[in-house]
Amino acid sequence: MESVLSNLNEIMTQESHLDSERNNVDKLKIFQLPNSAKKIGWVIACVAFVALFLTIKDTLPKEIAKYSLLVGLLIVSISKEKIEDELIKNLRLRSFTFAFIFAVFIAILNPLFSYLANFVFTEQQEIFNGVGDWMILWLLLSIQVLYFEKLKRIHQ
Amino acid sequence: MKNRLKVERAILDLTQEELANKIGVSRQTINSIEKNRYIPSTVLALKLSRLFSKPVNDFFVLEDQD
Repeated sequence: MESVLSNLNEIMTQESHLDSERNNVDKLKIFQLPNSAKKIGWVIACVAFVALFLTIKDTLPKEIAKYSLLVGLLIVSISKEKIEDELIKNLRLRSFTFAFIFAVFIAILNPLFSYLANFVFTEQQEIFNGVGDWMILWLLLSIQVLYFEKLKRIHQ
Repeated sequence: MKNRLKVERAILDLTQEELANKIGVSRQTINSIEKNRYIPSTVLALKLSRLFSKPVNDFFVLEDQD
């Protein structure tokens, strides 16, 4: 009887410890913007996307356009839907998972392909270039947003 | 898992939209459940059960492969 009680006591201390940890983690709930922010995000992203083609390479306006595009897509990505129910949460989770795996996949393969292409077509060894930070962020965000829209469309 | 959501909805004479509003989800969610593309959470299943005044087992049924 005494051993059962001490076991129970031990389990309960463990659980209360986990509880306080869980509460701390819960405080960092996924940060989301209201649905109205989504339109603003799309406007910023679209304007920045057009601006990308109108600006000259390696200038300040081009850099501003590049990062505005990321900010716009980020706003779209973290804005709530009109009705943010459990199906949407599920689809959102799937889109983030897909985007993460797909973006890493492309980021790994892309330099390999350009390296091989350079080697075959110009017959000279280029320096092995990685994918830049902007490219990875752009891949992650655009794949997530597009795949989420696709998932929503097939769950009409 | 099979479901008889469409039948239960017909008994109460509700559209997908009306049922969705009553339990606080989107029409797409109801449609996805009816078409067996989405398995609802326990909370949602119990909300449906309360609305239909029937046990959950009456309209969500396990199949052999589950």
